[in-house]
Amino acid sequence: MPASPPDADLAAVSAGLDALDAPAAATRPPLWKRLTKSLLPPLVTVVIVIAVWQALWASAWWPEFKLPAPLDVWGEFWATASSGELLDVVWTSVHRAVLGFLAGVAIGTPLGLIVARVPVVRAAIGPLLIGLQSLPSVAWVPAAILWFGINDAAIYFVVLLGSVPSIANGLVAGIDQVPPLLPRAGKVMGAGRIDAARFILLPAALPGYLAGLKQGWAFSWRSLMAAELIAISPQLGMGLGAYLSHGQDFNDMPKVLAAIFLILIVGVGIDLLVFRPLERSVLRARGLTSAL
Amino acid sequence: MSVTLDQPDLAQSTDVAVQLSGVAKVFGHGRDAVTALENVDLTVAPGEFVCLLGASGCGKSTMLNLVAELDAPTTGTITRNTTRPAVMFQDPALMPWLTAGRNVEFALRLAGFPRTGRREKAAELLKLVRLEGQERKRPHELSGGMRQRVALARSLASTHRTGAEDRPALLLMDEPFVALDAMTKDVMQGELLRIQAQLQSSVLFVTHDVREAVRLGQRIVLLSSRPGRVVREWQNTPDEDSPDLVDEINAKLREVISTHARKSA
Repeated sequence: MPASPPDADLAAVSAGLDALDAPAAATRPPLWKRLTKSLLPPLVTVVIVIAVWQALWASAWWPEFKLPAPLDVWGEFWATASSGELLDVVWTSVHRAVLGFLAGVAIGTPLGLIVARVPVVRAAIGPLLIGLQSLPSVAWVPAAILWFGINDAAIYFVVLLGSVPSIANGLVAGIDQVPPLLPRAGKVMGAGRIDAARFILLPAALPGYLAGLKQGWAFSWRSLMAAELIAISPQLGMGLGAYLSHGQDFNDMPKVLAAIFLILIVGVGIDLLVFRPLERSVLRARGLTSAL
Repeated sequence: MSVTLDQPDLAQSTDVAVQLSGVAKVFGHGRDAVTALENVDLTVAPGEFVCLLGASGCGKSTMLNLVAELDAPTTGTITRNTTRPAVMFQDPALMPWLTAGRNVEFALRLAGFPRTGRREKAAELLKLVRLEGQERKRPHELSGGMRQRVALARSLASTHRTGAEDRPALLLMDEPFVALDAMTKDVMQGELLRIQAQLQSSVLFVTHDVREAVRLGQRIVLLSSRPGRVVREWQNTPDEDSPDLVDEINAKLREVISTHARKSA
């Protein structure tokens, strides 16, 4: 064997290489810059949409009962908000959607894990899960009403059928994309099946799973709106869907538009407040920052 | 046919770390069967650095998998008188969501190392691979060479099974430096020799690079391809003139590879 360089030399070269080759730490721009970069474009969009709307209304192309002024919609919104009705309506729907979504997570997660890891199960119900995802959950509302009656059970049934397939499919996709070397590395370190699933497979599948959760939430929310629009009854209380339906019943276009905006705002709001930060922290920890 | 992977009796434990006798590995059945290894005998002494050298298809990686118990031999016996082997791949295969320190701690946890002291042990192992103070860095914040050193620290961590402290450590390395640039590779080879000398562990190191084998190995084992058989072994003594040995092994490797051209022609 040739003589190796002395240890001190090796240490110095090694440290030098580390300093040169390690990726430079990304510097984060100041807060105000980040805020303007992320908040300004959507604000500009909103302003433009309202301006165009106002212009269309001013041109009086459509009658007032078809296209009300932005200010009228705001007036309806404000009246509902100040009477306290708005909070009730939004709360009724949001708490249903959240409960339904959480139940969807509780069912979809083990389901996805089994579909991903057991080939027979995947062959048996994998295509069905994908098919269910493309079936609009509003299609289940009539069946749900006939089975359960007009009550909470019918609504949750529709929400579950909307969210479970997305969540399960997201987890399956996440697990499928785990590099095979990671479980193998776990195996040589002595990880059994349970340890491998818990400490390697699930964390490695987290980005895909989160994408599934995000989609599952979106599906829960829209399924709920579909169910609330159709299944209306006094004992169900007034959710956003029923509120929207009210607007239609009374030919009250400002109310209809206010309801649509509220549905949109809640959907986007939950995504921005809950899923975006989660996704950011997960992706940033793995150095997947290109989309952030 | 006998296949055992049991702990050997302690009588012979002093002079043998790993022993393969008459090991063969066949993949598939019937006409599609592929013989990856045939009648391989190999002994690694405690503290010995053995390089397995061969062209593609010589079953080098299969052999490591067998010793690592990722796979079982078709025939023959493998006895191992060491700790759980530390395995390193071409890719560092670090868990991207864990910091460098947590990656090492994870291996300690799987090895049954008690919770208290895991962090200190991980820091100690990272210090051994000259990554002191880098515990909190994530894999994507490290260079390729640093990542591979975290992988080395992690693989060493997996040898720390409690109750096996008296057994010698064994490192199984499957072309671990192949993806690194020349300079980093050179430094890594130096680091590996330093660490191996310090830990007195046995190493089974797979490579297709004759220079690397001659730089690292105390013994170099040349394997033929399809099926893999031991063709020749060289002792690499420090006073030997190594350029000659590189040439000699290269010539023999060329000869082995050339026979395949005649076979397939």
